[in-house]
Amino acid sequence: MADSKTKVNIKTSAPKSSSAQRASNGASSSTAMRLLNVEAMYGSFRAVNDVTLDIEAKSVTAFIGPSGCGKTTLLRTLNRMHETLPGATVKGSIQVGGTDLYDPSVDPVRVRRSIGMVFQKPNPFPAMSIAQNVSSGLRLSGTKSKRDVAEIVEESLRKAALWDEVKDKLNEPGVSLSGGQQQRLCIARTIAVEPEIVLMDEPCSALDPLATLKIEELIGELKTRFTIVIVTHNMQQAARVSDTTAFFNMGADRGGYLVETGPTNKIFTNPSNKLTEDYIAGRFG
Amino acid sequence: MTVAPGTQTEQRFALSDSDRRRMRTNRIMLRIIQVATFVAVLPVFLILIAILAKGLGTLDLAFLVNNPLDEQVGIANAIKGSLAMTGIALLISAPIGIAAAIFLNEYASTAVQRIGDTLVDILLGVPSIVAGLFIFLLVVPALGYNGYAGALALSVLMTPVVIRTTQEVLRLVPAGLREASLALGVPMWRTTIFVTCRTALSGILTGLVLALSRGIGETAPLLLTAQGSNDSVIDLGAPLSSMTIVIYNNTISSDPTKFAQAWTCALVLFAIALTLNVLIRFKTINSRVL
Amino acid sequence: MQASSHAFRTSRRSGELPFRLVTAAGVMIIVATLVAITLVLLGQTSVLWPFVDPLTFLTSGGWSEVESPAGEITASYGALPMLWGTLVTSIIGILVAAPVGIAAAIYLVEIAPKRLAIILTFLVEVVAAIPSVVVGLWALSELSPRLRDSIEWWIASTLGRVVPWLSEDSSNPANSSVFRAGIVLAIMVTPLVSALSREVIRSVPQSLREGLVGMGATKWETIRLVILPTARAGLISAVILAFGRAIGETVAVVLVIGGGATLIPPSLFQPGSTLAGQIAISYGDAGTVGKGALAGLGLVLLGLTLVLSTLARLMLSRSNRQGRS
Repeated sequence: MADSKTKVNIKTSAPKSSSAQRASNGASSSTAMRLLNVEAMYGSFRAVNDVTLDIEAKSVTAFIGPSGCGKTTLLRTLNRMHETLPGATVKGSIQVGGTDLYDPSVDPVRVRRSIGMVFQKPNPFPAMSIAQNVSSGLRLSGTKSKRDVAEIVEESLRKAALWDEVKDKLNEPGVSLSGGQQQRLCIARTIAVEPEIVLMDEPCSALDPLATLKIEELIGELKTRFTIVIVTHNMQQAARVSDTTAFFNMGADRGGYLVETGPTNKIFTNPSNKLTEDYIAGRFG
Repeated sequence: MTVAPGTQTEQRFALSDSDRRRMRTNRIMLRIIQVATFVAVLPVFLILIAILAKGLGTLDLAFLVNNPLDEQVGIANAIKGSLAMTGIALLISAPIGIAAAIFLNEYASTAVQRIGDTLVDILLGVPSIVAGLFIFLLVVPALGYNGYAGALALSVLMTPVVIRTTQEVLRLVPAGLREASLALGVPMWRTTIFVTCRTALSGILTGLVLALSRGIGETAPLLLTAQGSNDSVIDLGAPLSSMTIVIYNNTISSDPTKFAQAWTCALVLFAIALTLNVLIRFKTINSRVL
Repeated sequence: MQASSHAFRTSRRSGELPFRLVTAAGVMIIVATLVAITLVLLGQTSVLWPFVDPLTFLTSGGWSEVESPAGEITASYGALPMLWGTLVTSIIGILVAAPVGIAAAIYLVEIAPKRLAIILTFLVEVVAAIPSVVVGLWALSELSPRLRDSIEWWIASTLGRVVPWLSEDSSNPANSSVFRAGIVLAIMVTPLVSALSREVIRSVPQSLREGLVGMGATKWETIRLVILPTARAGLISAVILAFGRAIGETVAVVLVIGGGATLIPPSLFQPGSTLAGQIAISYGDAGTVGKGALAGLGLVLLGLTLVLSTLARLMLSRSNRQGRS
């Protein structure tokens, strides 16, 4: 499928700074993360083929594509979660702030503190209260914060648009909330450790449309503070929520590969690749 | 026998002879099964009634607080001995068992897990007398009969129970919770302690109670290690009594008074064992309902 | 707000390795214990071999040790009567416990209304909660004389006239018997058979039941044609496991089977001895060689348990494979 592969390095879509300046500096300050020839394997099966792309800072990048094309697998390589599965390996390089995440001297635990993840099925800790859930990342990783924990809990819950709904029941179990609230709790928990980047793996697919809407609004607010990468099988969601979209497809070898990436507007109205156009038009997937 | 209704000659749904025969067989077999269940349940009532009838008579406060050499014989030393040895055995079994369960479930590869499961199975199947004989041969020639040896023998029997129950509850903790914790940048070992074990805590405690109930009902291993004593002072370094030893010794004695005391001690022991068991069942039913 | 990316390099994994070592140590202790048990028992038997070789030990009876004034020891130890006793009592136990336990399991899972099932299940399990010495006390005091005067008397006076191993001395019926020990084992092991069988029966797919009911089969036919065949391997495994539990039972059996018979009894209604029981009785006065004989008994018992639990696991894996097909 070599003819359909298009590697596009995004330079910028925001008209705020000099594009020339950014074009000359590959690892520019507005690039949060660079993927260079990243491959992900389960044993000998290559689930993700040779992906090279840039993730822009303080914006939302969406990974879209049909089921099984490796979007989630790729996402999980970004915070070194992929390798927690037995036999799973990663090739290539993922650079954040000039450091390759997969450098042997890098501690995956520290990586995950700077790159958080929200999962498809909300997973608040059942043995903890709402407040304890939010502060769990800080407490359990032994991060010493100069600020008062209660303060951080309230701030994180506010940023996750959940404070008003739970401020009177902070000591109730985390699992006593509705599905949409639980997911926002997980988001609060993730941002409480102040990561640079937040990864989201189909965060709304287990939620009803109202809860989904709330989370999409939340993503719009969060992107002013965090870089967000979201995997979604819902094209319309990607169109609503993201600034940049990367389209993946499944190859003949059943492994995923990057077809095209670019500003969301362009991908959805005037994609460069025919496959992308077919997927957007709903002709397959 | 083929099942073929509808091959009727006259009316469509009239019962044929073969149908009637099948229904009669059905009724007879179901009746037999019912009777068998009754037989399975019967001993409970018989034993319970006997314990209450024969044990209640001699039961009074003196029996519980006095010692064997007092004017009015009591089993205080035996109760303390049972609790002491089982308690120490739990102090040994719990950390070892929980640690082993954690390793097998959270860190071990599939191959190591399978080997570990087999070994735990074997240890679970070791007859209690063999555990007693093992400690007897190992410890008693050098140190004599003592309570510590008794506790050791009990811990050999209790540890696999802890491992098995802890493994089962750890397995029930959803993988998503471990992932959420790792994704927050919490190292694996802290995830295991503060998330996985914390979530499984009530199940782990239930497993400890289960191990306790096994330990407190054991006789044979204690006979060979603690041997029993009439001493009112509880010295773990010396021969020690337990309720089970008292029941056993009194049962084989030809003295009818002692035999009666065996029943009373049996009542006390059974009450404790039943309480523990009901506790476990209550917890298990509760969590299954949830 | 930005966490420094260069902080990635700080390796602060200080807690991980100690934790893994400690938990691995837990497993190592288990391994060490099993090895130790085997070694201690094997080592102790070495005292025995100069006097009684392994083959004689396993195939003959007798239990004595005499030390002459000159310090010379004559020892005669044979495990055969105990081996016989263990196997026979356990077989009698299983012959009763298996059908009763499986039938009870069928009733509780397939037939009984839900609330009744919960109560009855609890009652069946209570027997397992009774400490074995208490069961032994009850069996010695209540069950044994009643069995002797009813079933044993009845069988001995009918079949016993023809079959010597079912006979008894009617002028002086024994106070302990192999048969009664078998019945005690049956009572103690039925809850285990029932509990394991319930699991197996419950795991028979609902679709199989529905298929037969849809064809107009009666309850019994569903049980006979579908449930039992499908559950067969699992049920066999349950019975084997219960058998393994039965051979290890000590006090309840020893109270009812009699103390220290050193020969194979001529009749089931006479006293006998078991591997576990003999250890419990003779540990106290065991001489130097005697300790070796005890260890020998322990090894035989351990070996039997190991064989049975392996068999049970093989059967269980076969039932899992069956279930998947």
